[in-house]
Formats: sequence, C-alpha cells, structure tokens
Amino acid sequence: MKLTKYIASGLLACSMTLVSNASFAACATDALPASLAGPDGFPERALTMIVPYGPAGGSGQVAQAMAQAVTELTDVNINRDHKPGGSGTVGMTAYMALPSDGYSVLEHIDDASSAHALDSSKPNPASDLIPLVISQITFSQIFIRTNEDRYTDWNSFVEWVKAQDGKATIANVSKEGSMERVTMKAISDATGISIQQISFDKGAPRYGALAGGQVDALFEQPGDVRKFLDAGTFKPILTILPEAPSAFPDVPALSDAGLDFDPLYRFRGFYVHKDAPADRVAWLKWAFQKAYCQQSYQDYNESKYMHLIDSYRDTEGARELIAATIDQYREVYKEMGLDVK
Amino acid sequence: MDTLNNFINGTIALFGDPLGILIFLGGVIGGMLFGAIPGVSMLTLAAILLPFTAHLSPEHGIMLFSVIYCTGVYGGAITAILFNIPGAPENAPTAFDGYPMTQKGQAGKAVGAAVTCSAIGGTVSAVIMMIATAPIAGWAISAFGPPEIFALVFFGLAVASSVGAKTFWKGWLSILLGLLIAVVGLDPVGGIERWDFGMPYLLAGIHFIPTILGFFAVSEVLVQVEKKARGSYSAPKVGVDFPSLAELFAQKVAVLRSIVIGFFCGILPGIGATLAAFMGYNEAVRWSRDSKEFGTGKMEGVVSSETANNAATGAAMIPLLALGLPGGALTAMMVAVFQMHDMEPGPLVFLNSADLVWVVFAAMFFANLSILLIGFLETKTIINLLRIPFQFLAPVILLLATVGAYAVRGLPIDIVVMFIAGIVGFFLRRSGYSVAGIVLGLILGKIGEQTFAQAMQMLHFEWSGYFSRPIAITLIIAGVLTLLNSIYSCFFKKST
Repeated sequence: MKLTKYIASGLLACSMTLVSNASFAACATDALPASLAGPDGFPERALTMIVPYGPAGGSGQVAQAMAQAVTELTDVNINRDHKPGGSGTVGMTAYMALPSDGYSVLEHIDDASSAHALDSSKPNPASDLIPLVISQITFSQIFIRTNEDRYTDWNSFVEWVKAQDGKATIANVSKEGSMERVTMKAISDATGISIQQISFDKGAPRYGALAGGQVDALFEQPGDVRKFLDAGTFKPILTILPEAPSAFPDVPALSDAGLDFDPLYRFRGFYVHKDAPADRVAWLKWAFQKAYCQQSYQDYNESKYMHLIDSYRDTEGARELIAATIDQYREVYKEMGLDVK
Repeated sequence: MDTLNNFINGTIALFGDPLGILIFLGGVIGGMLFGAIPGVSMLTLAAILLPFTAHLSPEHGIMLFSVIYCTGVYGGAITAILFNIPGAPENAPTAFDGYPMTQKGQAGKAVGAAVTCSAIGGTVSAVIMMIATAPIAGWAISAFGPPEIFALVFFGLAVASSVGAKTFWKGWLSILLGLLIAVVGLDPVGGIERWDFGMPYLLAGIHFIPTILGFFAVSEVLVQVEKKARGSYSAPKVGVDFPSLAELFAQKVAVLRSIVIGFFCGILPGIGATLAAFMGYNEAVRWSRDSKEFGTGKMEGVVSSETANNAATGAAMIPLLALGLPGGALTAMMVAVFQMHDMEPGPLVFLNSADLVWVVFAAMFFANLSILLIGFLETKTIINLLRIPFQFLAPVILLLATVGAYAVRGLPIDIVVMFIAGIVGFFLRRSGYSVAGIVLGLILGKIGEQTFAQAMQMLHFEWSGYFSRPIAITLIIAGVLTLLNSIYSCFFKKST
C-alpha cells in the first residue's frame, strides 16, 4: 500500500481547516480581554521558558518573539532557558522535572508529537502537557537554485531526477521518522522518483549545500529561507500544500502537480505542565493567546511567512491538531515498518 | 580604491558618533572579559545583549556583536595560559604550550605572544574580508562540501596524532577515546539513540566544554594538589616580560601559516575558530624541526593557535554577510540581530545596507588592533593573579569551572562529566596519554562523523566517489601518508 493513502486518510480534516482560514480580517484573539489579573497576584516573579533548541534557530526565534510579546502585554519577564539536544528530548525531560507551579512553560515543535507517535512512553504534548497556544503552523516547499539550468520547474525536476537513476540529492533533516523524511517518501511514492536525502541538522550547512551546488534541491519551510528567496538565490518549485498560497501563486501546489496526499505541517507552540494550578493555567492561556496578536509577534510571524495559513490554535485547537498528527504519524510509521511502541 | 574609500567612510561613521564609540569600547572590553572568564563566554555576553540590540540602530547592533566576536576569541587565551583553563574551545590548543610557559616563569611572553598574534591574525583576516568577501564565500561553499570537510577532519586527526602524548600509540589511543566519547547521544544523521544508558540527558551527547574544563582545569588542580601533598609544589614564577621584537619576528612563518589555516577554516560554514586553532597548532607541530618541544612551553604553539583562531573571525563573517550562512553560534546570533531590524544577512545586504557593512568591517579591523593595546596593558597587570597562593586559587578555579560546565546547557550532568573528565585526565596525564588528543577527538569526531555520513549519502555509498573530488582525495591521501610516516617513524626510527 502506498504511503500517500495513509497520509491522505487522517490529516485531511486538519489541513482543510488550515487552508480554509487563509485570510484574516482581524487577529484571532482580538475577542479576549485586553487585560486579566492573575490569581493571587500570580505571577509574582519572572516566568521561565524552557526551549529545547538553540537560540538562533526557528524555535529559539519564536521563543524570543513570544516572550517579548507576552512581556509587552503583561509586564511579566520571561527568562528563556535553552536546553538543546536529543531532537528536543533533553528540553522536554528537563521541563517535566520542574515544579508544576505554573512558573515554567515549554516551547516545543511538532517533533514532540512525532516522538510520542513512535514511542508512547515519551510525553504526549496534548495530554501530559496543556497547550497554551500554537503560534506557528507552516508548510514546506522544494527549492532549487535560481540559476539552475538542468531543470527549472517541478515537472522538469521530476524528469531530471528520474533520469539520474537514484543519484539526485536533496538536502533536508532526514532523521528517522521526521516530517521531512515522511513527506519525501510520500512524494517519491506519488511521482515514482528515487532521490537521495542528505541530512543536515543545522540550517546554515543545509542552505550552503544548495547554494554551493553540493546538492540538487532543498526541502525547507519558506520562512527559514526567505532571505535567499528575497535575494533571488533560491526559488521554490513545489509547494507542499493542497492549493497554492497567495505569496506563491505561480508555484505548483500538490493539486497542480497531481500529488494526491495531504501535507504534514511544521508547528511550534507553548505548553505548561498538566498539573499546574488551574487558575494559573487560565491566566497563562490568556497571556500567550493574547500575545499572539501583539503587533510585534504578528510582524515576526509575517516575516517568516507564517501568515499564509492560519498559524493560530488555542488549547482545544492545539489538542486536536496534536492528536491528529500523532494518529497520522503512527499510521505512517507502521507503513514504513518502524518499531512503533 | 573603492574599498579604501568605503573603509574610510566606515571608519568615519564608526568614530564620528559618540554612541558608536561607546558601544565599540564596550564590545572590546566586554568581549575580552567574558572571553577570559571560564564559564561565561562571549556567547553568554551575546545572549544577554541580544534583546537590547533591538533598541540600537542596525549598525550599532551588528557592530557590537562583531567586536565581541573578535575580542572574545582572544580573551579566552589569558586563562588558558595562566591557569590551564581555556576560556573557550578555540583557546584549548593555546593551553598546550601557554600553560607550560607560565610554569616556566614565561607567562608574560606567552600572553604577549597571544596578544600580538591574535591582533595580527584578526587584522589580516579583517583586511581580506574587506577586499574579497563575495568571491571567497562563493568559492568556499562550492569547493567544500561534506566529503571535503570530512577529509579535512581526517587529515587534522592524522596530523594531530602525537600532540601531547609520550608515544605515537598513546597519542592515537587518546584520539580514539575522544572519538568514542563523540558518538554518545543521537547520531547526527539518522537520529539513532546511542550510548545513552536510558538517560535522556545523554541523548544530547557529551559536550566538549565540560570535557575541556575537566581535562584541563580540574585535572590540573588535582596535579597541583598532589604536588602540594608530596611537598614538591612550587608556585609559578611571575614573569611579566613582553616578548622581544626579535622573538616575535622569529615566529613569522608560524603566523603566516596560521593565518592561511585560520582564514580557510573560518570561511567554512559550521567549522569556525575551534578547528582553526587545532589545525594551526597541529601544522606548527608537523612542520617544526623541534616538534618534540611542543607541549613543553614552546612559544610557537601559542602563536600558531592564537593566530589561527583570530584569523577565523573575519573569515567567518564572509559566509554570513555574503550568503547569510553563519559559521558558528555567535554569527548565528548576529543573524537574529539582523532580523530584529527587519534585515537579513546575505547578498542583498551589500546592495541595501552597504554603509552598515562597512561600519562592521571597520569595527572589526579596529577591534583587532585594540587587542594589541589592551592586551599589552593586560600583560602587565593580569599576570599578577599568579601571585595568589594556590590554596586560594584552586577553589576559585574549581568554582569557575563548575559554573562554566553548568552554564553551557544548564544540565547538571555536565558538572558530573567535568569532574569525571578531571579525574580521568589526572591519571591519563601521569600515564603519558594526551588529554589534548581526547579533546581533539571529541571535537573533530562530532564534525567528522556527521560529514562522513553526509558524504557517503552524497557519494551513494561508493568510496570511489572520493576520487571524483580532487580536494577531498588530496586531503585523504595527505592524511594517509602522514599516518604511514608516523608508523614508519615509530617502528624504524625508534624516536616516538
């Protein structure tokens, strides 16, 4: 059975929600009160935000942007504590060991969901934690160099890759079970191409590999390579969304390319321990959800192309997204023959 | 001529603005201080300052970080030389000969050599950066992919096999131990969990900073404690003599060689000053007629390491500014500074923000020159720290090392790793093994494993693919020949 069938079966509802909210007249949390007093003076001191990745990457940047927005809104400082390593495992473990008093929050990405899907002994972000807000949901694209002359668009790329008999290369983060590897498997199954994935865990060497001609293509989210797009160094040839978003009207999306699967998304959000006092959790939810609409945060999201699809999920929306993601990854992993625990 | 005019304009913009001068001086002093104190590196300072740069102009923000980068890389040399505590990984090779010089009463000469050569390496690097940023950046990423970087690492390990060890075999065993430690944690390509013993914290791997602090600082304290207990301890003589011009001039070949090596390593994304320092030191050992004297307090060792790591600073700005590719943690933070001001480093910076670029270039040039002045003053003052009695100094060293180990990632296991490394290092040093080799194996092992796996993927798991990449195969052949020569010397010359 093709992997694409599994992907198509589960995330359809999720992706439909994503694309149907593509335009925003008002910000998602405008209806929330402009201010909210914390219970019994909470918080009386600065919050701590555990970030399981380094300060310079996408997670580090969104953590800083959200912390700044919350501080602007509430005058409460947030100290970011970066604990990188183990694909987010170290930060998650460190966070789970902290007191569940509401003074510490966790930033994490969809890797936490896929890790739980593969190994259920790892924390489930939807039930072992309380999602405060998911503030970034984005899609991926396939990029090539703008001055590339062996192929210039998706169709010619597919033809060229087929002619290379498995020798073509694409740079991504192709760890076992990663969103990138699963998506590339779906694309390969759907198009019949065989392409060697080269795994770069850091952005700069990954982008340098494409810019320097070490690889033939790049799998990435557009916000992370925006500078290369603006400079005209890279260009997208496939948008891994059902329909083309407004910023990339001329780049074929999945439906244009005849690819019959729903995409997996990269999402980043903020969580608090499930045993934190309920009244404090309520205040944290308000602060983080309201901060999403702070101008500084909206500007940041727009600079990362996070405004093209609905990047916002409140607690319940986040739980739905995470649950659907976990179910979907589990099916995919079983199809890939991975040892799902 | 355009370059000179741009440089003059950048200089005028830098020093024609009182706030700019203040930020420049703050960056110079702050970088040196944070670089010199183990545990709080220039990265710590940069992380603290990052949110505040939003309130500065883009020119001032980027300039501040670039100045911190230049002086911070130098600052770590001071504690490496005086106390055997490298302020940062790129200063580790400086300790190999710098600390023995201190023990011989030549601390002033060692610090003086580090000051002078850091300034020379950084300044030359800054000048090359100003002249040829765009073409060099393009060449580097085209010519050096994972196969070439792996070959470079292999060559570096082959050259370094005997650094600090009593025999060739003990040298290699030390390096292999470092390589073994490097594989703890998730594998860098497939994400497979290895050697974690069920401890999630070990999935992040063994970080080289606690390891360096253990092998160098803690083991050194243990060595001195043992001497104290045996009654054979003698306090280091405090020598504040700056090296003479003749002594410095005699290092010209080492300086030139390390500038080339440092610059070359600096322009490779993800490699940077640490590999530059080790490679600079290793090549000095390889080309020296007195290679046996390295590790015993040879000025050329300090010169080679410090020239190379500062030569990497200007070079690291090249892929950042020309391509938007940061070479290390600090340059990655600079990307964040750009982004705070709605800018992105890369080709468009030269078109849209040429003024900013030239203020940064000028600031880096003068920051490197200022190392010479402030470093000279430091030589006459900071060396007096050696007059502090050991019984007071040792607890401070252990305290700073502990803070430093924990500060890297905020993980208690890093403190445990540091003390284990310290105890292991204490016994290994007595047995003629090389703690420098272990550290080198650990640092290069992480880079080497990743690039090896990437290279094999790129070459479709065919070894013969290396023959289609001239630079890679040249480096591998050079590494193999170096190894064979070492083995030949070991068996037939009876000199190792």
